[in-house]
Amino acid sequence: MRFSFNWLRRHLVTSFSLRQVADRLTAIGLEVENLQDPAEIFKKFKLVRIDSVEKHPNADTLNVCIVRDDDGATMRIVCGAKNVRVGLKSVLAMPGAVVPASGEVLKRSKIRGIESEGMMCSPAELALSAEKNGIVDVGDDVDLSTPVGDALGYDGGIIDVSVTPNRGDCLSVKGIARDLAASGVGSFIEAKKIVVDSAFKFPLKIDCDRSEACEQYAPVLAFRVIRNIRNGESPEWVRSLLQSAGMKSISAVVDLANWFMLDSGRPLHIYDLGKINGGLSVRFAKNQEKFVDLKGATHELRDDMLVCADSRSTLCLMGVMGSAEAACDENTTDILLESALFDPVFVSKTGSFLNLISDSRSMFERGVDRSFCVPGLETITRLILDHCGGEASAVMVVGDEPEPKPSVTLRREKLLAVGCGEVDWNMAKAILANLGLIEISSDEDKITCAVPSWRSDIALEEDLIEEILRIVGYDQIPSQRIENVAVGTDKILSEKKLVTAAMRLLASCGLSEVVTYSFMNGEHAEVFSEDNALINLINPISVDLDVLRPSLIPNLLLTAKRSLNYGRSGVEICESGNVFQGDGKQELHISGLRAGLAHERNWLQKTRSVDVFDVKSDLLALLEYFGVKSKNVLMEFPAPSYYHPSRSGALVLGRRKFGYFGELHPKINKIFGMGEKVVCFELLCSSLLYSKSARNSYASKVFPKINRDFSFVFDAKVAIGNVVAAVYKLDQRISNVDVFDCYSVSELQNSLGIAVVLEVADRTLTEDEAAEVSDKIIAHVASVGGELRTK
Amino acid sequence: MQELGTLLAACLSEIARCDSLKRVETLRNAILGKNGKITQVIEKLREMEPDQRRRVGSEINSIKDNVIKALDQRRCELESAEISERLVSEFVDASRPARPRSFGKIHPLTKVSEEIADIMSSYGFVLADGEDIETEYFNFTALNMPEHHPARAMHDTFYLQIAAGECGRRLLRTHTSPIQIHAMLANTPPYRFFSIGRVYRNDCDATHTPMFNQVEGLMVDEKVGFGHLKWLMTDFLKKFFGVKHLSLRLRPSFFPFTEPSAEVDVNYDIVNGKMVFGTGDRWLEVAGCGVVHPNVLRNGNVDTLRYQGIAFAFGIDRLTSLKYGISDLREYFESNERWRNTYGFCHVTV
Repeated sequence: MRFSFNWLRRHLVTSFSLRQVADRLTAIGLEVENLQDPAEIFKKFKLVRIDSVEKHPNADTLNVCIVRDDDGATMRIVCGAKNVRVGLKSVLAMPGAVVPASGEVLKRSKIRGIESEGMMCSPAELALSAEKNGIVDVGDDVDLSTPVGDALGYDGGIIDVSVTPNRGDCLSVKGIARDLAASGVGSFIEAKKIVVDSAFKFPLKIDCDRSEACEQYAPVLAFRVIRNIRNGESPEWVRSLLQSAGMKSISAVVDLANWFMLDSGRPLHIYDLGKINGGLSVRFAKNQEKFVDLKGATHELRDDMLVCADSRSTLCLMGVMGSAEAACDENTTDILLESALFDPVFVSKTGSFLNLISDSRSMFERGVDRSFCVPGLETITRLILDHCGGEASAVMVVGDEPEPKPSVTLRREKLLAVGCGEVDWNMAKAILANLGLIEISSDEDKITCAVPSWRSDIALEEDLIEEILRIVGYDQIPSQRIENVAVGTDKILSEKKLVTAAMRLLASCGLSEVVTYSFMNGEHAEVFSEDNALINLINPISVDLDVLRPSLIPNLLLTAKRSLNYGRSGVEICESGNVFQGDGKQELHISGLRAGLAHERNWLQKTRSVDVFDVKSDLLALLEYFGVKSKNVLMEFPAPSYYHPSRSGALVLGRRKFGYFGELHPKINKIFGMGEKVVCFELLCSSLLYSKSARNSYASKVFPKINRDFSFVFDAKVAIGNVVAAVYKLDQRISNVDVFDCYSVSELQNSLGIAVVLEVADRTLTEDEAAEVSDKIIAHVASVGGELRTK
Repeated sequence: MQELGTLLAACLSEIARCDSLKRVETLRNAILGKNGKITQVIEKLREMEPDQRRRVGSEINSIKDNVIKALDQRRCELESAEISERLVSEFVDASRPARPRSFGKIHPLTKVSEEIADIMSSYGFVLADGEDIETEYFNFTALNMPEHHPARAMHDTFYLQIAAGECGRRLLRTHTSPIQIHAMLANTPPYRFFSIGRVYRNDCDATHTPMFNQVEGLMVDEKVGFGHLKWLMTDFLKKFFGVKHLSLRLRPSFFPFTEPSAEVDVNYDIVNGKMVFGTGDRWLEVAGCGVVHPNVLRNGNVDTLRYQGIAFAFGIDRLTSLKYGISDLREYFESNERWRNTYGFCHVTV
């Protein structure tokens, strides 16, 4: 809501300065987003008249002007504008002035050898318009003593207020003035009640649907015809105020109606009577009925939208926007005024479905003064008659003003509880009265008020408390310490900390934590979905972000790609976050990705690319952290299809797959345009958060261990890791199994060397026992196709 | 006896002339071995009178001791010279670069979430969590944002192509506030909750990203009001920014789920081009808060005659930016190499 200080003062008598008013507005909840105080902006500017113009001796395109200010002082100014002439009155920026458009501080300077004592400004330099050819012409009849801001239409200063959605009444200068007055900033000027005598009967046949639904949509509709107007240019003061509100001037009646809307919060619609064919009807639209709006866009309507139509076409989408067809122009002589009350929800539905934004819509959505339909119509009639001439018909009113909102009772006890202290009861009552809440009854403990017709947002006791506290000032409420209470274990926080610590662990393994979007490109997502349904966004911000990620890998991949493009030879990153699939299921994953070289080239290590065992090691570090014993983990194949089919695997605990790792499938590299080798892992960690396993019991006495090495030959297809895991579990007395050697003997056979440690906590093992376990191992390995190698 | 007198000196001089361990051992043999000089003298003792034997014996023993000591000492000297020589030949230039070991960084959002959780825990607030995918009921209706209320339009919502259920259409939560409702329904007051999480709005420019993070706090108790909220906001922000003094300005505002509602500004100054909080008279908006709307409490099954609530929310990304001077919010989620190295935290920072 943008308006000028002088406009505000039409409704408010105040001794407060522009800045004081602005501070107060913010303090009572009408946040001033932008304040243009001409006294500040134009501190070093003045109005001057050009007394003489001479060609610059050293430059063809420049002139040297002598200008004179209101005190008669003259200055020499070098100026390149084409519109300089003797007698022109313009705006001079003096040294030290801050040029509004650029923010630069003007310095005294010599231009081609001649000193200029200031700069004559273009509208663009003053941030008034884009016009930069030529200097501002304020008009020859403007007095040089006029403040610069006023000569430029600042009208005492411009205030831009951000109005919250609950305050429909403050989408008008009148409403803002009323709130200011209630907060002690001067006194509110009540508008005079106006009634215009009718010159003739209402001449039009308007057929209004009065079904229940329609009455709900439009409880009150008031119409009036004015004939024989001259729709020329609107009066200067209207144009100036509309300019301050950032609105374009169109024609007298349109400008007056727009001004009146912003002034009083009463939206109006004006039809050119000459363009209406036959009678009008107010009815619900037909499904797919066509409507061409004021800007020429065509819409297809629905049958829950209210329209006003003549025998030929739809002239107005009620409460939202008119059509171009019946719009007023400079030839308009007869008009039909409509001032109605529309239901916020209906208007909101219509506007949001058609995506039509208008002042009218936002006012109705937030609620307008339900008692101001007819008084508003009278006032705008008066304005039009005064400025455009003509005579007015009688007013036709359809429907009744809705019942007033129920009264609201405030208990003093509740006010004190929310306000945390002594809010003076009499002051509270006075504030409510100043805001227009009419006291019905009151005593020391409670007050009951009637809600004014313009405050559709007030319905509850809490609403009254808010009104009182915001006017009293939040700074007046005493601060109260919150005493700490003992909390038991915070299970969810512990889990969160576990995940954070897991990220720290990965960072210590060299992976940097990143945070990527939860959404991604749908086409890319397909290859990560494993045939599960993806979750699409109905209204994505772009096609690259139109699906919820089914895996953390693809966004990590994009991040890695950027790093490699940036010149890194290797990337190591990780992320923890939710992935989404199917009917809205989310699951917490931790993923890591390594790409390119495993380490920077250095003199100690042979340069190598990342491989599967790099990420397997990351994954096992996490498992250890989560308390999963690696001997309990088995490997299964295949991993999801986005992994390299023969260089990847899935980790299984019991029957559940809970992690994948491996090299990325080359087809993914191709899709993502990734040249380097990529390895990655995924840990489905939600189920692991609780699996911290019990500590082994500690035995201080140590009995000798027995070490046994074995060498086996296997079919190349056998998963060595699972054989090792199985050996581990063969016997309680096996305390460790290490693979010391593993290589392929031929294409068909692998050789495996394992070192087994035998140990029990309470005694020394005998050789016989060792032999027994050895036999067990050899027998087991034989059962899965492994043969003991003979030396 | 003259003989004995020169024997020691002769031996010592020979020992001193030894220039290798081998020679020392050869000499040791030549002196103390079977036919060694000293051994021979000792052999002669047998032929002596007891008196003389005792006297010469003691003398020869002392000589023998000295010779052994000298031999051992010489041996030591030669050994350490040998070691020194070997060590010199084992030269390694320790100034060469170390074996590379790289550590990753922790994302600033993770760090700040930890900081926030620690502060909230210190007031007895317990973490509550929810899902990113919500329903219209929990994201809006239960929070006193009825359908077609203009406040709903202020949240540019991402809707999802999942069949709507009895709680309405499925969407990506636009704020963490639905967690309040879930937490209230699952617990009995009084309680204090906070939540941290990703939220989504269809908006993207230098100051908005379609995804960002919020922290939310809710306290429901018999006697809790606006004054407690003021204290909580002030204390929290002081702890967060690590400053002793901080001025807060609470401005009346509108949120459908609180009444009265306030936006929270903190004071700051620009010192050497950097924002410093707690000094100066400029104001910056950092949070929204208020007394919980009775409709919201009712939707959380709270007896509004007995209990009141206060609630607040911050944008974590923004707080992080302010505290650590990170400018463009979009870079949080691009996490480029250089950005990570500049703003990331060491993995062992506490």
